[in-house]
Amino acid sequence: MAIEANNKALHADADRSPDAIQAARDHGIDIAMLVDNINRTPAERIRRHQMALDTAEMLRKARRL
Amino acid sequence: MSGRFLNLLERLVRAGVDLVVVGGFAGVVHGCTYVTQDIDICCDFSPANLLALQKALADLHPVHRMTTGRKRLELTEENCTQFKNLYLDTDLGQLDCLSVIEGLGDYANVKQASDIVQVEDMKLRVLGLDALVKTKQTMNRPRDREVLLQLEAIKRLKGKPR
Repeated sequence: MAIEANNKALHADADRSPDAIQAARDHGIDIAMLVDNINRTPAERIRRHQMALDTAEMLRKARRL
Repeated sequence: MSGRFLNLLERLVRAGVDLVVVGGFAGVVHGCTYVTQDIDICCDFSPANLLALQKALADLHPVHRMTTGRKRLELTEENCTQFKNLYLDTDLGQLDCLSVIEGLGDYANVKQASDIVQVEDMKLRVLGLDALVKTKQTMNRPRDREVLLQLEAIKRLKGKPR
């Protein structure tokens, strides 16, 4: 519930001040992902980054069948 | 503590290495969504601090990743003073150690512009969002501009003044 309220507040703020948000959106950045990340703790952000990095490295090492 | 990067940072912090996380990984800590393959830190380049760093990494086979033949990290009281930066590879990933950050200056300035964040049971110094924006604006390479878009959006989303 608290996260939902926080999300609403974040989106409301984005709507009031769209410049940087719009510039990022125009560049193809997923604002919803940024909002989700902001709602996480630094430890969770790092953990998810590690998961993404591990996946990328695993795929890079994968061989074609 | 899970994850290679966290393990690497934990070793340094537990060993008392005076450092601030900067660069792309600092952006990750602030909420950026990209993936980075190394950790950049700005640290005190005093011999005592560099030797503590070397000791913390000792069993991770640290090498100078940009030298021919990837020379082993072999710091001494005497040769420590030769370095402005250390570009290392270890068993837990790449670690770039910088004495100066463009747009901010030396370690004392960088430390002043840092925040302390709690990561699991570790207190970690990370370059503050405003300072990170400043460094990216100063460097202004294409990849910095890409990161800058995310950082500016995060600032706005967090409701910080521009």
